[in-house]
Amino acid sequence: MMIMLVILIPVIAGIMVPLIPFKKRNHMEIFLEALVILNSLLVWNLLIHRPESVFTLANFTGNLSVSFKVDGMSMVFAGLVSALWPFATLYAFEYMTKEKREKVFFTFYTMTYGVTLGISLAGNLLTMYFFYELLTLVTVPLVMHTLTREAILASRKYLYYSLGGAAFAFIGLIFLIIYGSTTDFILGGVLDLEKIGNRTNVLLLIYVIAFMGFGVKAALCPFNSWLPDAGVAPTPVTALLHAVAVVKSGAFAIIRLTYFSFGAAFLKGTWAQNVVMLVVMFTIIYGCSRAVKETHIKRRLAYSTISNLSYILFGVTIMTPLGMVGALTHLVFHAVMKICSFFCAGAVMYQTDKHYVHELDGMGYKMPCVFGIFTVSALALMGVPGLAGFVSKWNLASAAVESGNKIAYGGIACLLISALLTAIYMLTIVVRAFFPVKDFDFKTLEGEKDPNWKMLVPLFVFTLFMVLFGFYSAPIVNFLADVAAGVY
Amino acid sequence: MGLIQNFPAVSILLCLFAGIISSGLKKQAARYVNTILISGVGFLSLCTLMYILETGEAFVYVMGKFPAPWGNEIRAGVLEAFMALFFCIIMLLSLAGGRKKLADEVEDGKTFLYYVLMDLLLASLLALVYTNDLFTAYVFVEINTIAACGLIMIRQNGRTIEAAARYMIMSLLGSGLLLMGLCILYDLTGHLLMSNIKEQMGWIYLSGQYKMPALVTIALLSVGLAIKSALFPFHAWLPDAYGYSTVSSAAILSSLVSKGYIFLLIKIIYRVIGFEVFYESRIVDVLFAFGLMGMIFGSISAIRENDVRRMIAFSSVAQIGYIYMGIGMGTQAGMEASIFHILSHAATKSLLFIAAIGLTDVSGGSRQFIELTGSAYRNKWAGVAFTVGSLSMVGVPLFSGFISKLLFAQAAVQNDVKMLPALIVLGISTILNAIYFMKTVIRIYTPVEEHKYESIAFKNMKLYVAALLCFIILNVVLGVSSQPIVDLIGQGLAMFS
Amino acid sequence: MYYMILSILFPICTGVYLLVRRDMESRKNLLIVTGAFFVVSAVLVILTLCITGNGIFTLFSLTDRLPILFRIDEVSVVFSVMTIVVVLCAGFFSFVYMKHEEKEKRYYGYYLIVLGVLVALCFAGNLITFYLFFELLTLSSMPLVLHNGSREAIMAGLKYLFYSLSGAYMSLFGLYFLERYGNTLTFSAGGVISAEMAAQHGELLLGICFAMLIGFGVKAGMFPMHAWLPTAHPVAPAPASAVLSAVIVKAGVLAIVRVVYYIYGASFLRGSWVQYTWMILTLITVFMGSMLAYREQVLKKRLAYSTVSQLSYILFGFAVMDGGSVTGGLLHVLCHGFIKAALFLCTGGIIYMTGKTRVEQLRGIGKEMPLLMWCYTIVSLGLIGIPPTGGFISKWYLAQGTLSSGIPGFSWIGPAVLLISALLTAGYLLPLTIQGFFPGTDYDYSTLKKKEPPLIMTVPILILTVLSVEIGLFPQIFINYLLRIVEKII
Repeated sequence: MMIMLVILIPVIAGIMVPLIPFKKRNHMEIFLEALVILNSLLVWNLLIHRPESVFTLANFTGNLSVSFKVDGMSMVFAGLVSALWPFATLYAFEYMTKEKREKVFFTFYTMTYGVTLGISLAGNLLTMYFFYELLTLVTVPLVMHTLTREAILASRKYLYYSLGGAAFAFIGLIFLIIYGSTTDFILGGVLDLEKIGNRTNVLLLIYVIAFMGFGVKAALCPFNSWLPDAGVAPTPVTALLHAVAVVKSGAFAIIRLTYFSFGAAFLKGTWAQNVVMLVVMFTIIYGCSRAVKETHIKRRLAYSTISNLSYILFGVTIMTPLGMVGALTHLVFHAVMKICSFFCAGAVMYQTDKHYVHELDGMGYKMPCVFGIFTVSALALMGVPGLAGFVSKWNLASAAVESGNKIAYGGIACLLISALLTAIYMLTIVVRAFFPVKDFDFKTLEGEKDPNWKMLVPLFVFTLFMVLFGFYSAPIVNFLADVAAGVY
Repeated sequence: MGLIQNFPAVSILLCLFAGIISSGLKKQAARYVNTILISGVGFLSLCTLMYILETGEAFVYVMGKFPAPWGNEIRAGVLEAFMALFFCIIMLLSLAGGRKKLADEVEDGKTFLYYVLMDLLLASLLALVYTNDLFTAYVFVEINTIAACGLIMIRQNGRTIEAAARYMIMSLLGSGLLLMGLCILYDLTGHLLMSNIKEQMGWIYLSGQYKMPALVTIALLSVGLAIKSALFPFHAWLPDAYGYSTVSSAAILSSLVSKGYIFLLIKIIYRVIGFEVFYESRIVDVLFAFGLMGMIFGSISAIRENDVRRMIAFSSVAQIGYIYMGIGMGTQAGMEASIFHILSHAATKSLLFIAAIGLTDVSGGSRQFIELTGSAYRNKWAGVAFTVGSLSMVGVPLFSGFISKLLFAQAAVQNDVKMLPALIVLGISTILNAIYFMKTVIRIYTPVEEHKYESIAFKNMKLYVAALLCFIILNVVLGVSSQPIVDLIGQGLAMFS
Repeated sequence: MYYMILSILFPICTGVYLLVRRDMESRKNLLIVTGAFFVVSAVLVILTLCITGNGIFTLFSLTDRLPILFRIDEVSVVFSVMTIVVVLCAGFFSFVYMKHEEKEKRYYGYYLIVLGVLVALCFAGNLITFYLFFELLTLSSMPLVLHNGSREAIMAGLKYLFYSLSGAYMSLFGLYFLERYGNTLTFSAGGVISAEMAAQHGELLLGICFAMLIGFGVKAGMFPMHAWLPTAHPVAPAPASAVLSAVIVKAGVLAIVRVVYYIYGASFLRGSWVQYTWMILTLITVFMGSMLAYREQVLKKRLAYSTVSQLSYILFGFAVMDGGSVTGGLLHVLCHGFIKAALFLCTGGIIYMTGKTRVEQLRGIGKEMPLLMWCYTIVSLGLIGIPPTGGFISKWYLAQGTLSSGIPGFSWIGPAVLLISALLTAGYLLPLTIQGFFPGTDYDYSTLKKKEPPLIMTVPILILTVLSVEIGLFPQIFINYLLRIVEKII
């Protein structure tokens, strides 16, 4: 029941926002923040006192049911989401003061929280698929929030891509219903080899199709173009949804599909593994290269997200427990790093209305906190030792080495090339901000300053985590290893 | 319970009589008669359904007590009764939802005629559903055509007359082919009653004689009914007919009339030709291929359309493609999926038509997309309903469309050869559906700066909202608790043989 | 033990402190504070070297398998002594030199951080620790390169950054594999790769080794990834160039020493294709660097090319993997460190006093600043390898080791290339001396003024010059110490 509760509280809270006549904006802030924090506490409580049993809400058709279960993967994703959401909400309150139609925004923003939790806590493929579709629908209004022509086109694209991807993922779902012993998530897969008979190749093809289908949300090339476009949304959306919740749902779904439904043992060493791995490797490079070319800050970060998501998927496609550890590590760490860099970009846009990289000259002196933190997140994304990104990359690469797969070796090379490109697109911003050209006129930046505490607190907290994870990652990595080993 | 066995025949006769009586009534009275009729027939069908479920077997009702082969028989099984019930519900809701609009679009003096035609249409639909006699089926196919034509034409402007003429020509072509098929069939077997023909067909098939004529018959019957139900590429009449007629007509035409023909085809497959014979004939493959093409091209046409009503009409072409794809799979599961989709599409498409009219009405009557911008704020209920309908069409879980998609896909997986094309096209078609429906949804939820049009208040459209709500509930019921209905369909199909 | 950490953290922390604190009231205060920091840092390092034994000190673990640990061995001593001397000399030199540059506080901040990171590199006890500080070195030295803020400087800084990072990532690629296939990443003389691993994954490991050589070779300006060096070094302020050219590039050398002799072990690589390719690359670099320097007219650029060439002398010595050549290489690390720093500081003095940067502008410079030019000439001779300077000794050992190594072909091609390069070195360094002291008959002596730079500039140059000569005069002390290293690793 607790599971239903944590999913429903945000959804109901979201629906309540336009219904309650708040006297002041503050009241709404307090109302939402309190509920979000409460819900996060409930989630953590749920994760700590984990119910062992499956909670079935309703039978759908035949043997398909809507059911929930808290297993290791759920703990990772739900824990991550619930840890980030309160901070993001706090940040959003400040950011949204400059946007219109706040109530609509917070309605869907808060509802998304519940839906994302639904994805993470889903106990079988059908339930996950259900929340996956729902996630698309509740986030579309957020993307089109500004209602400019650009935003509407972007949200359309987002919608088409996401629904289309889900349609292909759906094919995978069907096959698992038919050829699996159950659709519940069981580490190691549920395929019934007797039923498959000589249809192995068909199933592998279906795996590839479903991988690509879920890959749309994870911005796999060539289905990635929705993500940079969706950057027209307000920054809290871009940061939290398009760097964490939505895209990570795609990656999460792929992990579920690979390790919990098809089973790594079934896929490992097949052509399907090679195909998906190559696609992922290509995306890693592609995303970075596009990021280098992009001059709009948020779009640049969006391309960076594309490439980093494929890091996660690369871990997935290694199809060993270590690969899964790598994928999960990056899933968690990238969330922190990317949300941080997006929030920095958002803070700049909010404070100064600057959107392009070339406008950032000398800003580091005017907004030292924001750009300092941005630098840290840039270094973390590059994978400088001592920050979070290094650890996750290390885990990914050592999983690839351990697997002994020659293509995975190439993948390591891709990771490193991407790291270099990451350095290029992130550090050029940093250099601009802190080392303006000699005769730069600081008078043009008169009056720019760091944002207030509501924006800075989340930033500092995320920075703290980046450093903490970088220096002392053992507990969390061990936990993730346990998850990958099926302890939970 | 001999009494209940009379119900199917009685309901057909009731409809015919109601039609005759209404022709002498004023419009108000004709409307009451019509409403009572539909509710009554629905009730009778419900009773029949309960009865059959209780006894567990279908019954044959011999008209006028003349035994076969001279008499005329009606046969009622689970599926027939359920279809009749479902048709009544949809019809009632569509009429309720379109009532207000009807007053604007149809001349006052002709309104009663509209209800007369509606009565006749229901009569013919019921007959198509229940009859056990191919010739009776043919007769009611014609009645159906004529009634439908009248329904299209009753809103008199140039486009509808053209549309009706087109519809007439295509329909008559279909009926002609159907008639030819029947003739050859009669020649081959010497029977007109379905059960008898099937017996003979079984022998003919086993003996290996008359292969060609049998094949031609099957082809003629299938193609004839395919034309009438607007299977791609015979859909040219559809967009105009659905797009320009009054809204109730469009809803009923798309969700009931074409479905009646498809149901007849399914009946012919099971009860006349025999599933195995039909499957062996390879006509299934043709239907499958056309179904797939319909799914793609219907949607593509819909995407290119700039008129919301015509867009929904083109979407029907795609959806009928789905149904034929299910039939074309040639498996029990495929057939079940098709029948479920008949229900789900009927529930969704009429919802969309009714919702669309609410949106166009608050946009100065224009159906162009540009004018529809922000209309969902002006008519909130229609906006919500349109969104629900769209989501269902796209196949989002919780709504009926998802279950159809699920059933289709599950059916496809069981057929090794047709699996991949079916699944891929299903996926692509979902994307295409998403493109045009979601485009519309986003459009109607995009606010406009200057308020060009008035919005409509709730108190002016109570009936309309009620109809929409019922549709939405129907959709969600089909989407959430589909298992009993799927079971019912399976049971009904079992009773066919 | 804790001195080790202190000597690393003190410069880094003080550097960060300088960066974040607001501007000092006067330049004098800044210099006093910075000078104090320099001295304390140096004292700490010396103390650490004196009192810390050979123990391993683990600071913490990044992950279970990746400890950050430090340890001081003979190689650390050699490199850290060279580092601290050069950095200190250049540091005090900048007290005057930086007067005409802006943002001095920032400069000293990063300068101190670089010092700390360099010390940490010398003390690093395993490859992962080394990698950590290697990246930090790149990041913290980049601001020194782009210090003057011209567009050219910023582009050069970025070029430096991206080249270095790509090198670092190449070596990280190897690191991933070594962590799995080697038993440990902790440095140990003679290598850590077990025989069975070597047998199983020999080819793979060789490939990895090559990737790491190229990767770390970027920092050491080895062909084919040398292009950043002539761009980046000249645009930095002269003392920073000195540090870059004399010390920071040595981090690449140190990295290669560590990888080749302390992870793989000489026996693993000797005779493999990696060794041959490596030697070819270094020889190409030696020749090419000298050639380019010979053709270059801008003095600082010429010196930068010279660095490219000289570093590959060192690397060639290591590539030959013979006792003599390795000794020569290690000795040349010291010699080249002192000499190149001195050369750059001389250039800095010239630029500071006259503002002239091109060689042909500098006719008669020896008449204007004779002390500076004498130093220049002496260390130039050292770099060419003329006795009695240190360069002679190190090159002698290099050539002798190569000849005795018996590697077919290379044992005589190598010395030949070194010799040609030495001639070229003479060709590009000595013209300045000749023109400077003997400007020719048409030189207008009337404009001549005494322009000897202030004491605080000349003293560091003098110290460095003396050191480089001292190595040549009393080589035995150094050689004995280096032989202790060589015994262990060969």
